[in-house]
Amino acid sequence: MYQITRSAALRSLPEFRKYINLACSQRGCIAKQVIGDLQLAVDEACTNIITHGYNGMNPGSIILSLEFTDDWIEVTITDFGLAFEPSPAPAPNLEAGLEDRPTGGFGIFFIYQTMDQIDYTSNLYGNRLTFIKKWNPH
Amino acid sequence: MFKQLQIRKSSDRIEPVPVQLTSGWLEKNSQAPILLSQINNLPENIKKRVYRNLIPSELLARFQIDPVSWKGTGGDLQVQIEAQADSGLVRIKAYSYGAQQDEFFFMEFSDNALGSIDIKELQLSDPESPPFGNGVHQEGYPTFSGSTGRNLEREQRAMEAGLPPGQIWDWLGALKITLNQFEAFLASLGQRAYFFEPHFYSAAWIFEKRGFAYAQGHKLMDDIHAEFQPGGRLYRALDSSSPFRQPDGWCTVRGRAWAIHDGILEAIEAKWEGLRMVKLLGRKAGVETFPDAEF
Repeated sequence: MYQITRSAALRSLPEFRKYINLACSQRGCIAKQVIGDLQLAVDEACTNIITHGYNGMNPGSIILSLEFTDDWIEVTITDFGLAFEPSPAPAPNLEAGLEDRPTGGFGIFFIYQTMDQIDYTSNLYGNRLTFIKKWNPH
Repeated sequence: MFKQLQIRKSSDRIEPVPVQLTSGWLEKNSQAPILLSQINNLPENIKKRVYRNLIPSELLARFQIDPVSWKGTGGDLQVQIEAQADSGLVRIKAYSYGAQQDEFFFMEFSDNALGSIDIKELQLSDPESPPFGNGVHQEGYPTFSGSTGRNLEREQRAMEAGLPPGQIWDWLGALKITLNQFEAFLASLGQRAYFFEPHFYSAAWIFEKRGFAYAQGHKLMDDIHAEFQPGGRLYRALDSSSPFRQPDGWCTVRGRAWAIHDGILEAIEAKWEGLRMVKLLGRKAGVETFPDAEF
């Protein structure tokens, strides 16, 4: 398992992106598109944690872990901020003009669009967001 | 239908827990976390059997204390436990020769509001070393990690002897086995993580090495590291204005810890407060906020 822990700060995002790239490169044979999707999904999820989860707190850690099997990659993001409630919401209106679109919401939309499975748990030991992405085209 | 993530007001409790543990409840729940207050409500001898697992037996053996009876070679009880019924607090003390001044192990831990467990205090001291007395004010009252005042003369002696703030005796060198034992104890209770509030920068750094992450305060630790780099605000505030703010203090954990204990974080408009560390059982977070540090 690959794991990196960094502070919940925007400056940590490039480190997470690099780490995903490094882990996928070491695993080998993973398409750039898959790596890019994972990087963007982690970026969006961590931005949410940083700006909302730890909002008003002395920000703690974000633990990013990646696990590879022959067919899929499991990415887990653990944090200790406020929990997020996965709740139904309409898809953003991609046809609307920029000035008519509400801010936010696209990141989560993107995560749901690109990941094959998403799971979220929150309990007294922290919050865990897990994505599963199939990477093997065969 | 798509989903978005919204802030939830409170964490889930894993399961409601009864005040009184019963064999029936235990029979049905092999994984539900048990609280200290539930154990403290058990009869004395059962409680002792449970808490006996807390002090590593090899540590007791070093001081010739029987791991079951907790008695030394002279027959005196050398381990004391405080775990009152209807309380979620436990204190365990162990003495090398049965005299209070020779305490080598002190651990205080408690249930927290969310239903997991906090280490409140952990002191592992070498009773063979001279006490520096920096935990006691000149007028005789305890300083409680500097919160009720400081004994500057004693602190300086401790610093010059190579101790970090908050350390009254030399290290016992048993933190790893003590925390491993504590994790095994928590796993038997069905707990999956525990928390610790570091009173000092040096304590935070040491617990990072033991695999802790930060529930709160990771960014502050990163900021402190950045500002202690040459040219940073904390680096510049190491101006010898007190014995605890030596110019070379930035490059060691102890130097930074004493300067922070002395209030240097004012230079970045911050305070050493609100830090909360978390250890997930069996996992090392790999946090390193002061890479390649010299202690």
